[in-house]
Amino acid sequence: MGDLFVWLIAFFILIALLVIVIFQLMALADLEFDYINPYDSSSRINKVILPEYITEGVLCLFFLITGHWCMSLLCIPYLYYNVRLYTQRQHLVDVTEIFNMLSWEKKQRLFKLGYLIVLLFLSIFWMILTALEDSDYD
Amino acid sequence: MGTENPGRPNPVTGSPFAAAPPPTATPFSAFGPVVGSEASGFRPPAQPPQNTMLSMSSGSVAVSQASGFRPNNPPSRFNDPSLTSSSTAYAPPASGPPFQRYPTPQFPSVHQAPPISQPPFQPPAGQLPSLTSFHLQPQVPVVPMGSPPSRLNAPQLSSDSSSSASRMNFQPSLPHMDSSYSAARATLQPALPGYVKQANAISQASPLTPVQAQQGSYAAPTPPPPPPFLPQQGGFAQPPPVGTLFGLHSRDQIQQLGSAPPIGGIQGLAEDFSSLSLGSVLGSIDSGLDPKALPRPLDSDVEPNSLGDSYTMNCNPRFLRLTTSAIPSSQSLLSRWHFPLGAIVCPLAKAPDGEKIPVINFVSTGIIRCRRCRTYVNPYVTFTDSGRKWCCNICALLNEVPGDYFAQLDATGRRIDLDQRPELTNGSVEFVAPTEYMVRPPMPPLYFFLIDVSVSAVRSVWLLQSGFLLDMIHEVLCRNYGECFRYVAHDNKDSLDMVFIREMVVAQTIKSCLDELPGYPRTQVGFITFDSTIHFYNMKSSLMQPQMMVVSDLDDVFVPLPDDLLVNLSESRSVVEAFLDSLPSMFQENVNVESALGPAVKATFMVMSQLGGKLLIFQNTLPSLGVGRLKLRGDDPRVYGTDKEHALRIPEDLFYKNMAAECTKYQIGVNVYTFSDKYTDIASLGALAKYSGGQIYYYPSFQSATHGEKLRHELARDLTRETAWEAVMRIRCGKGVRFTSYHGNFMLRSTDLLALPAVDCDKAYGAQLSLEETLLTSKTVYFQVVLLYTASCGERRIRIHTAAVPVVADLGEMYRHADTGAIVSLFARLAIEKSLSYKLEDARSSVQLRIVKALREYRNLYAMQHRLGGRMIYPEPLKFLPLYGLALCKSAALRGGYADVQLDDRCAAGFTMMALPVKAMLKLLYPSLIRVDEYLLKPSAQANGFENIMKRLPLTIESLDSRGLYVYDDGFRFVVWFGRMFSPDAAMNLLGQDAAVEFSKVALGKHETEMSRKLMELLKKLRDSDPSYYQLCNLVRQGEQPREGHLLLTNLVEDQIGGASGYSDWMVQIHRQVQQSA
Repeated sequence: MGDLFVWLIAFFILIALLVIVIFQLMALADLEFDYINPYDSSSRINKVILPEYITEGVLCLFFLITGHWCMSLLCIPYLYYNVRLYTQRQHLVDVTEIFNMLSWEKKQRLFKLGYLIVLLFLSIFWMILTALEDSDYD
Repeated sequence: MGTENPGRPNPVTGSPFAAAPPPTATPFSAFGPVVGSEASGFRPPAQPPQNTMLSMSSGSVAVSQASGFRPNNPPSRFNDPSLTSSSTAYAPPASGPPFQRYPTPQFPSVHQAPPISQPPFQPPAGQLPSLTSFHLQPQVPVVPMGSPPSRLNAPQLSSDSSSSASRMNFQPSLPHMDSSYSAARATLQPALPGYVKQANAISQASPLTPVQAQQGSYAAPTPPPPPPFLPQQGGFAQPPPVGTLFGLHSRDQIQQLGSAPPIGGIQGLAEDFSSLSLGSVLGSIDSGLDPKALPRPLDSDVEPNSLGDSYTMNCNPRFLRLTTSAIPSSQSLLSRWHFPLGAIVCPLAKAPDGEKIPVINFVSTGIIRCRRCRTYVNPYVTFTDSGRKWCCNICALLNEVPGDYFAQLDATGRRIDLDQRPELTNGSVEFVAPTEYMVRPPMPPLYFFLIDVSVSAVRSVWLLQSGFLLDMIHEVLCRNYGECFRYVAHDNKDSLDMVFIREMVVAQTIKSCLDELPGYPRTQVGFITFDSTIHFYNMKSSLMQPQMMVVSDLDDVFVPLPDDLLVNLSESRSVVEAFLDSLPSMFQENVNVESALGPAVKATFMVMSQLGGKLLIFQNTLPSLGVGRLKLRGDDPRVYGTDKEHALRIPEDLFYKNMAAECTKYQIGVNVYTFSDKYTDIASLGALAKYSGGQIYYYPSFQSATHGEKLRHELARDLTRETAWEAVMRIRCGKGVRFTSYHGNFMLRSTDLLALPAVDCDKAYGAQLSLEETLLTSKTVYFQVVLLYTASCGERRIRIHTAAVPVVADLGEMYRHADTGAIVSLFARLAIEKSLSYKLEDARSSVQLRIVKALREYRNLYAMQHRLGGRMIYPEPLKFLPLYGLALCKSAALRGGYADVQLDDRCAAGFTMMALPVKAMLKLLYPSLIRVDEYLLKPSAQANGFENIMKRLPLTIESLDSRGLYVYDDGFRFVVWFGRMFSPDAAMNLLGQDAAVEFSKVALGKHETEMSRKLMELLKKLRDSDPSYYQLCNLVRQGEQPREGHLLLTNLVEDQIGGASGYSDWMVQIHRQVQQSA
């Protein structure tokens, strides 16, 4: 039963991450189509970048302490990437260069999005599996 | 060719026989409708009716132009199937008709061969026969015939008899051609005696022969007799690649014969490409390449005018220069053009002498713009529906003409009021913008001075410096706004130099005062000084003395007084003056070594954010306190050559970038003046200027005695030049193309909108184009540069530059219309940007690589046909490109590694180059070197004037004669080089007693001798040619190391310096790489 909760929580964390990444992508798309100016766009994005990194870190740690090594391992590349950006101080969007970096920023976030979706499916799969096992057990 | 461009209207041919004019001609009709009188002279009578739809041109000439290029007026016959193959095209009109038609108005489309100063290449006299029979590539015969390997077909004056003979041959044909078209065939015969038979045969017997013959002429290296151009004029479509080549040239040739001075005819021959014999011994360094024969831009920059000829209503190239004046029609073509495709835009460039940009006020009608794409009305829009509608040239939308703007069209489709509508005839205009174009009332001109008063390490220097600086602001401000004389006189405590300066500046200043009078009563100024604290000055007009307020809380900066920190100069004049008088003495005793630049900038931002304006920061040391403090990260030799190298050149602290972004948002432009003799992290400080549209002035080891004049001049220029406030710039262009990236000092506000808080005539911006569609259907692409700004007088204005460029389907054509200056400027910007994220080495090699790729592509176009085996070939317009590429790699921004240029110098050079207009950029890359001793020593030099002396020498050490005196001028400084054997008497004359002292301490002053006076006049003349920077004079003796080395020798770009190769090596290197996979 506990395992099911673990997967449920992981599921919600992943959803939160997805929302954050999609939000950033939307801000970038808006910028590209000239709906908002670079100042607003970058400040919106920069506001959620640290929460995104922290949430991702929490997810990884959460898998680790609940004993789901595999999932934890799967989360590590993402986390490593984030940490690297952070230590190079390149994690924030630079308002002055945002237009030159636009395609790169978008690509990066689309990759993250895909990555998260894979993780999401995996955790749903595990959740269902656990649920079925639980019911079998019962 | 014909098959390649089935969709291309052939504008010129009006008669039913139009079926097969050489389709190759179409791209070139670009050249066509050039010059009024000449063109009309050639026009066949059948022409006018065709043009009835065209409206706004100023004469019959422009009409024909319009017919040539207007995409919405495509004559139907261009789809004629007969275009597709020459044989079908010619079968029917086997005899007369095509020839009667052949002198169509394309003829007049004289490629008004601008008498370029480099005459064409010429074959040796003995090869004349091949020249005449093989008109197009005189070089071709040369090569296979085994001319000496070292021989270079370098530009030389066509004085030998052979050329004039051939010229004579052609010339007589002209009068006939333009007088009687129907008889053209006949008249040509006498004109070209050698070809009479051929011509007859062609026109009468078998139309196929000439084509075959022609092909034959390409297959075989020995040119067969048939004259390739005759049949073509007759209207034969050529087999694709060959045809292109010949089509152009034969026509050009005739045209030039027709219009240009006789020499033009030969010029046309060689225009296609140039070649350079690099000899067979490629491996060795002296490869038989004669260094003297290499092309050098010794005649300074020639602005491209091939377009100016055909599109007379284009704006002047100094406002907008495209890297090639021929837009590729497809993606695949673009990918074979390895140079950047783009433009250098200088929206506020000084109008050419004698011209003035008309200012138009649409009071009653409102500004006329396209409903859909928002293009402004320009000379290329067409009026239809008897003047009730106008068709946007960029998006082809039909717009209603507002009632008040309506005017009838005359028979040729022109508006009858064209003479009163400068916006319909001028490529550059200014509109007065109504209130819709303002988000707030136009701001007043506002100057804010942020002055570092901390004690820099060398205190004595600073004292001088600071006092000097303030004096100067004082002087400049006062001069700027009125009472010039008083302050110049009052401030004239310097020596004789001052008199010189004063004379020069006063005249300028009076003028600028007149210009700026409208802005005068509104001008606002403010001052903040800082060391470890920030000092605000209340300069309310009711006060007698300014009040100083000190804020020492750097973490949470606040402005102690809401108003009165920014005051109106005219109201608070006396207080401002009192302040400036007392300021130098105020901080004389200052012992504070800290500098809190970051907080001070923040404070200034708070004061200025209401209005915006120009912020001038004077910084002595590395900012050491508060937010934005910088480390002495210094220049580390170990980092060079590693992946971390670029980090030195990018801002260390994001504070400056973000601050600049904020400043731009609130319309504040920042100019940074730095004076330190030690590391000041220009890379970080420069970001402040870069992203707010400003610029960096860097005076390393500033000494007021020597650098004073330079600062004085440049500061005065900064304050007095025509400045556009709160500006935004956008470049619109026709369907299918799009500007994708911009390079320079500005911030992008949206994908294509450049925010420029304070922009002036010395700033240029680079932009790169890309094609959005795989195939362009239009025949012409239009560009419209629009700068919306507030003039100093408080009027909101829109400055508009419009240009039209033909679309071509042929790579050779793109190369032919290439513009070295623009390409080099764009290259420089790209390379400098690259050096911010990669190693210098990478930036340099990318320049080289692109040149190699482009030349290789070009070679593939021509080498096969012409057996140019071991020769280097390049397009004529790009003959200087390799040299400029080399110079770029050796420029201060990209040169060498750690030891070659100090980091701050490098960064400052990079920031400066990002903003330079084309002309200044070329001058910086390939400075002029002039020998002056003869001129100075000659007693009566007045007679031969300056022109003779201004002969530029190749930048190599061999140009320096130890008996001579040379002036080196790169637009930023002079180096006066004294040869070792230069007469001591003359040196004495020039320098007075100083001649014996070490030159590093000597300033060139005016002495009471004729020679000295002449030298000063000469330098003044040189300075006047480009006033944007002041060239400070450095004196150096031959052999005086290390000064000679770093002042002059490293800048002789043609020599081998350090690890970089010399010019001839570089050419060999490029040639070898071109050949490697050619």
